[in-house]
Amino acid sequence: MTHLWERLAEAKSRLAPVQSKYRVLFEDPSQPDAPAAVLVPDPNWMAAALAGGILPPIDTYLRDRDVPDGQPKEHPYAEPIGAMTEEEAIEYLIQKDIPPAVWRDYQGNRCILRIVPVKLIPSDRSFRNAWRVNQTEMAA
Amino acid sequence: MSTLNVSNITDGTTTVGTSYVVNGSAKAWVNMVNGRSTLAIGNSLNCSSLTDVTTGSFQGNWASSMSGSDYVSGGTCNNQGYSYSYNTGAGAGSKTASSTKTYWVHHTGGVYDLDDADIIVHGDLA
Repeated sequence: MTHLWERLAEAKSRLAPVQSKYRVLFEDPSQPDAPAAVLVPDPNWMAAALAGGILPPIDTYLRDRDVPDGQPKEHPYAEPIGAMTEEEAIEYLIQKDIPPAVWRDYQGNRCILRIVPVKLIPSDRSFRNAWRVNQTEMAA
Repeated sequence: MSTLNVSNITDGTTTVGTSYVVNGSAKAWVNMVNGRSTLAIGNSLNCSSLTDVTTGSFQGNWASSMSGSDYVSGGTCNNQGYSYSYNTGAGAGSKTASSTKTYWVHHTGGVYDLDDADIIVHGDLA
């Protein structure tokens, strides 16, 4: 099995990048005063996710969170998974790049994570540090 | 994919070990664009996503992790005719094996959003 980095480099050379139509808006419950963060999917990574045969199972990343620095990690040499839809890729990315405290462990009443179309992210950043996740239903 | 198994590379005059090439190549990089409006990724290698944290602070998330947090990261920017410096911040969690949080600091001291900024990572992969 080739290393994940090699698979990603090879995929970048043959797959056209795919700009996602989604963003993930989230608040970190461990930092209640911090503004909402926005996760932007990488277009080359998204192309690899949609193509399949490149990315490892998400479980390997979750197990690797507990592996100390310098110790061998599971995800680089794990058997790649098949193609995902864009929506499945976003769910994968949430588990990989957003702390579990946000998407798994939070038990409060606030909605602290939303997958939204790019057009719902404000382009005016004048009040960027006051952004919060909207607690009412949003139109798509 | 085929594998070329060599220990040295030469141009006929100068010879270097392939370890120089393997260890010296960037393991991850990302070009951030539209940081002053709707942030997007222009181009990248080994990046899974970018987190827009706050004003002037962005985090690169790496698809293939580094072996630990003891790698080198740097950044450049091209913006508004002013000079900015790149900081990986301070405190636990700013730089981990799988992500690098950055702050873009104006020469007057504040952090600012940038239209065009980059992160590059050198080090050992996991």
